[in-house]
Amino acid sequence: MDQSLFILGVNHRTAPVAIRERLAYADAEVVAALERLRRRARALSEAAILSTCNRVEIIGVAPDVAGAFDDAAAFVAEDRNAALKAFAPSLYRLEGRDAARHLFRVGASLDSMVLGEPQILGQMKIAYARAAEAGTVGLVLHRAFHRAFTAAKRIRKATLIGHGSVSVSSAAASLAGRIFDTLSDKTVMMLGAGKMAEMTARQLKSKPIKSLVISSRTFDHAAVLARELGGIAVPFEDYRPHLKSADIVIGSVASTRPIVGPEEFEAVIKERRYRPIFLIDLGVPRNFDERLNRLENVYLYDIDDLGQVVHKSQAEREREAARAEEIVELELESFWRWMNGLDLVPTIRDIRYSIDRLRDLEMGRHRGWLKGLAPDERERIDLLTRGLTNKLLHRILQGLRKSGNSAEGAYTAEVARKLLCDELGVSSDELDALEDSTADAIADDDRADREDLRPDIGDQIGKK
Amino acid sequence: METLWLMPALACYVISAMIFVASRFFGRTRASGWATMLLGAGVVLHALDLTARGLQAGTIPVANFAESLSFLAWLTALAGLMIIVRRQMAVIGAYIASAVALALAVSAVMMHGARLVIPETLRSAWMPVHVTLAILGYSMFVLAASTSIVYLVCESRLKTKRAIATPDDPVPSLEKLDRINYSLLAWGFSLLSFAIISGAIWADATWGHFWSWEPVESWSLAIWIMYAGLLESRLTAGWRGRRAAALTIVVFVVLIGSFVGINLMYPGKHGGSFG
Repeated sequence: MDQSLFILGVNHRTAPVAIRERLAYADAEVVAALERLRRRARALSEAAILSTCNRVEIIGVAPDVAGAFDDAAAFVAEDRNAALKAFAPSLYRLEGRDAARHLFRVGASLDSMVLGEPQILGQMKIAYARAAEAGTVGLVLHRAFHRAFTAAKRIRKATLIGHGSVSVSSAAASLAGRIFDTLSDKTVMMLGAGKMAEMTARQLKSKPIKSLVISSRTFDHAAVLARELGGIAVPFEDYRPHLKSADIVIGSVASTRPIVGPEEFEAVIKERRYRPIFLIDLGVPRNFDERLNRLENVYLYDIDDLGQVVHKSQAEREREAARAEEIVELELESFWRWMNGLDLVPTIRDIRYSIDRLRDLEMGRHRGWLKGLAPDERERIDLLTRGLTNKLLHRILQGLRKSGNSAEGAYTAEVARKLLCDELGVSSDELDALEDSTADAIADDDRADREDLRPDIGDQIGKK
Repeated sequence: METLWLMPALACYVISAMIFVASRFFGRTRASGWATMLLGAGVVLHALDLTARGLQAGTIPVANFAESLSFLAWLTALAGLMIIVRRQMAVIGAYIASAVALALAVSAVMMHGARLVIPETLRSAWMPVHVTLAILGYSMFVLAASTSIVYLVCESRLKTKRAIATPDDPVPSLEKLDRINYSLLAWGFSLLSFAIISGAIWADATWGHFWSWEPVESWSLAIWIMYAGLLESRLTAGWRGRRAAALTIVVFVVLIGSFVGINLMYPGKHGGSFG
């Protein structure tokens, strides 16, 4: 029963939003959908649904992948009430190692529309939790998702993939943060109510600001926006008196020449007593004379300057993506070894840990009367119990090795691990703490084998 | 006098400065945590050195220029450490640690030589008060100048649009730097004022006159006036930001010039026969 991982889905590259929204699942629908999927598509042994703005994917495990693809596709068509023909060309079908790589890349935000955006990992965690809730997660998906989370975390830590501003509005907000310590005592002023200016104002408003003044050629437009964003609208003829109290001015007025020049602005600066002012010029042609940047404590960024920030961040993220891909390959390799049953080491390590824990617990329970014994007697009891647990472990390990380096072997091992660890209440946190000691585990295992073959433990006890 | 602690303290400062500078240069912000710890270790070792000297002298160890410089370095390191940790200002660490390391190195080189003992006539309760106030005031000006350098660097990056190269570099905002600069200047100015007053009282008690226009007194007054002007211009004319930062550095250069110059040119003038 060779199980294989597969992914069937559409994303922002293969399908337009019209198709993606048709197939998308709201979070609340996912559990029920998975239950329907389990009943409908019997070829699948495990399944999860990942549905975000940019992708809808069924991540599954099945012995017969070709059949599972067809079943899953038919299920989606039926369940979402969409003609299969309409979206079939947009579907991608990945299996085995490619599917695992895809899952890891998605989690690490390497497949996102905005490279490195942080939401996807959370969405994937929710997808996993929903599948667990629906009871459609088995050994393979459990492992695959957790390895994907680990890979994503490693990538966040080791690369700069999530750094920098990748939109004009966030670039403006991050620059504001380099000028001002806090915006809670700052006034933001919008001259013109263009779409990008609005987005920038929203971004700035995501942290508390003192007030927002909106002035636009069409007063009604300004008034509507002011109501929506919680600011005050000012007729365009009257904006000048407000200029001196504004700390950030966003210009997006359609005008053939600059609406604010250096001479009049110098007076504003003096009136402001040289408090810094950040001018964000989103207008084309530009709203603010470029000479304003030369004035003391005035920082003027036009659309090209901001575009350059975005461009640099994107370039940086793309450079970092290459390093992220390397980490994905490393994690993929370890996952793939496990998939193929080549990697029994983590499982053996967990089992060993659980059995040792059991011995420790029992010894702890009898600590009271053990204390009353002579030291050599205590030592003998220690040797006796260790001998017992080592024998038990050896039996299990031999059994696992006999089942060999096959997928079935991995399954058997996982079942053994599950029984022992869960029964003993060993938490996965404890096991994660052992995660890095894989090499030690191998060494331990070899040593254990040698110890196990040593007859002297029994002999010693017998002699005494 | 040699103590065990001086060289280890100096080593901590030097390594701390190197890590701070390297972390700025390579954008490895986590390394500055280690640099901060080393700076702290330097402060502790340096404190042991000063304590040993103080116990031997029976008062605070400021009998000559080398010792005064060492004391200044220590107070600067201590106050700098507090700002770095409490105001998340690791960015000034490169300047503070370098300045402290340099000052202590100069002090260590000059420390060799005949030790002068503070004359009995000057031994008074006013002495530690006056000296500590003055040197603590100077340390505030060292920190203010460091903050101003950082301000000018950050400011010019923003103006020339080069700030964008490392958008996530945790550099403090201009506003924060300006505010810290202002409060350091205010503290330094107050301490210097009290140092001058306490010095005058001490002089009156010892020699019978408050003021004798000797070089240290004259220069201290000049520097006091300059800092007063600096604070005044901010409060009344609203000179802040770049202009305030540049002036802070200019006044500080004058301060250093007079501090070093007087001690080299007129050793032993201030307060009589030692110095």
